[in-house]
Amino acid sequence: MTAETVLTEMPSLSKLYVNAAATAARARLTRPALVTSLPARAVEVRGVRADLAKLTEFAHLMGEPARDILPSGYLHALVFPVAMSVMVQEDFPLPLLGMVHLRNQVQHFVPVLFSDELSVRAWARDLSGHRIGTQVQIVAEIHNAEGTELLWRGVSTYLAKGVFLPGLDKPSPAQPRVDFVPPAPTAQWQLGVDTGRAYAAVSGDFNPIHLSVLTAKALGLRRSIAHGMYAAARVLATVPQAKPHAFSWDISFDSPVFLPATVSLEVLDHRTDDGAWLSSEFTAWHARSARKYFSGTVWAGCA
Amino acid sequence: MTTPTAAGSENVGTKTTGARSAGIRKAVVVGGNRIPFARSGGAYAHSSNQDMLTAALDGLVARFGLADEEIGEVAAGAVLKHSRDFNLTREAVLGSALAATTPAYDLQQACATGLEAVIGLSNKIKLGQIDSAIAGGVDSASDAPIAVSEGLRTILLDLSRAKSLGDKVKIASRIRPKHLSPDAPSTGEPRTGLSMGEHQALTTAQWKISREAQDELAFASHKNLAAAYDNHFFDDLLTPFRGLSRDSNLRADTSVEKLAKLKPVFGKELGDAATMTAGNSTPLTDGASTVLLASEDWAAARDLPVLAEVVDGEAAAVDFVHGKDGLLMAPAFAVPRLLARNGLTLDDIDYFEIHEAFAGTVLSTLAAWEDEEFGTTRLGLDGAFGSIDRAKLNVNGSSLAAGHPFAATGGRLVASLAKMLHERGAVDGRPARGLISVCAAGGQGVVAILEAR
Repeated sequence: MTAETVLTEMPSLSKLYVNAAATAARARLTRPALVTSLPARAVEVRGVRADLAKLTEFAHLMGEPARDILPSGYLHALVFPVAMSVMVQEDFPLPLLGMVHLRNQVQHFVPVLFSDELSVRAWARDLSGHRIGTQVQIVAEIHNAEGTELLWRGVSTYLAKGVFLPGLDKPSPAQPRVDFVPPAPTAQWQLGVDTGRAYAAVSGDFNPIHLSVLTAKALGLRRSIAHGMYAAARVLATVPQAKPHAFSWDISFDSPVFLPATVSLEVLDHRTDDGAWLSSEFTAWHARSARKYFSGTVWAGCA
Repeated sequence: MTTPTAAGSENVGTKTTGARSAGIRKAVVVGGNRIPFARSGGAYAHSSNQDMLTAALDGLVARFGLADEEIGEVAAGAVLKHSRDFNLTREAVLGSALAATTPAYDLQQACATGLEAVIGLSNKIKLGQIDSAIAGGVDSASDAPIAVSEGLRTILLDLSRAKSLGDKVKIASRIRPKHLSPDAPSTGEPRTGLSMGEHQALTTAQWKISREAQDELAFASHKNLAAAYDNHFFDDLLTPFRGLSRDSNLRADTSVEKLAKLKPVFGKELGDAATMTAGNSTPLTDGASTVLLASEDWAAARDLPVLAEVVDGEAAAVDFVHGKDGLLMAPAFAVPRLLARNGLTLDDIDYFEIHEAFAGTVLSTLAAWEDEEFGTTRLGLDGAFGSIDRAKLNVNGSSLAAGHPFAATGGRLVASLAKMLHERGAVDGRPARGLISVCAAGGQGVVAILEAR
């Protein structure tokens, strides 16, 4: 990164969403100049700290004990306003509202405590074509206050459906759909219609597609959908806590979880002969239709 | 007394290495871990029992390298417990780094929960049923369960059984505004309607315990606990949580003069004779504690320290309902029985850990032991049971200063005493010996003897 924008404080997500909505409305009227490349600036915020009350609510919503060490999903929520600031820059080529989440790849290098002062930095990369639109990766990194040690790194892949930019690689043809045969579930989640609102309250992510049927419909979805990070954080809450200090996880979303939903899950643990945890693989699907929702892996180390 | 046995049968298929039939072996305290205790509504106001018990467990696991270890059994409990937490301890184990194959159970004996967990698990170790154990306790007065009123609860249950819409409407129409006031837990005794403080105020007055004596005991508790922190006594007994690294109730700068200024809060109908204040009573507190127990072989095989041996324990209860004895006086009966069974007297004890539910509780117990009539008519002795050297009492502070998260106090006492005994080593050529005494709601008390290793 050659240039960066340093913000003096954590941006307000609600303002970012309002700005994004205003931009979207303006775009309908004025057709802004087409941007086909990513801004070269990173956005940085220093002096970031966890909100202890929100952190506690977050862990309890995920069904895990609230510790002094921040859960992975909470770290994602903590850096999300910075990531979003990247996507609302005027020269960002894709519309923020209505974008869907395809994948998260996260590395935890060092445990982060609620009392730690943090520096957060985010930027966009890898704008590329997708079968049904254009995708982009947002990289977010958390360093210690001095910026000398990398603690956490998350790469989120988003898709702007129906947006095709000139000059990008021709999207590869649709992969033939592999029939998903659901395994025997190890768990089941009953997600009520308020799941999106509950996660919004603890994460601050009030994206309208998660809040209600009406707000989701306004953005072209038939119902509201669960946050991808809610799903990821709940899975992470169930994998063994014998996780070493450094661990990684990767989740890919196949289809949105329309609310309300009954989600079936399989989590498979892999251990050494001594019983030490190595990794957990997880898959989730719609309990009745067997439509696959998401799958991924959590593993020891940051490789 | 326990007798050492040759342990170590290596039968394939047996889970423990303990001798299964040949007598009993020793159970030892390896160490403990607790989180600092916080006054209710403070640093842990939004932390659940499971959060705090898990935090205490996490710290214990980290201190003794127990990740992925299958412990013989974990037993802990909470006095104020949500009904959803029916498996509180097992859930905390599953959320910890211990092997998921570690069994756990909840127990509850009011304020004696933690000590009873230590005694019960030690007995299993002594019998060779398990080789290792974690005893614990947790309580939150901040995150206390609040239930719907009894009237509403009955209506809701009827509603869930109703078949037709008509029935449902009929049952729902029974709900009245009065049903909506919630039912919060209290420290009141169900059979007397008196709070624990009011009960103790009666006992304090009965044994003619002065306000000055109570304030002095409270002052000593704060002074001793502050000194223990300054001397780094708690460095290997405690893991910070939620930004706290000391018990938040501790007032290092308090004085007898400051304590003397507080107004009585219990027994106010006694008028000028009222002596119990917020300063010489324990505050409502949040916190959790754990203790790692083991057989000698298990500890040795893992190169773990051995601080003390859990020698013996005893429970007692008094008939307090119509005032025959004070609510919190059961330890006055349990200790003489326990010492007699072990062939000991008060003079054979080097450290006394008498839980300070109220300063009046400790002083009433000591007064009863020094009373000739109590000794002859109630304890069946030739005279008074005896008196103790106050320099041996709660030397690193106790509940008046640290606070008292009900079920967590036993674990705090056992871990601290075990460490004190280990540091003391031998006295007159025998292992240093300590006595723990905990009074509990319902007129109960649990006491135990520990010996230095």
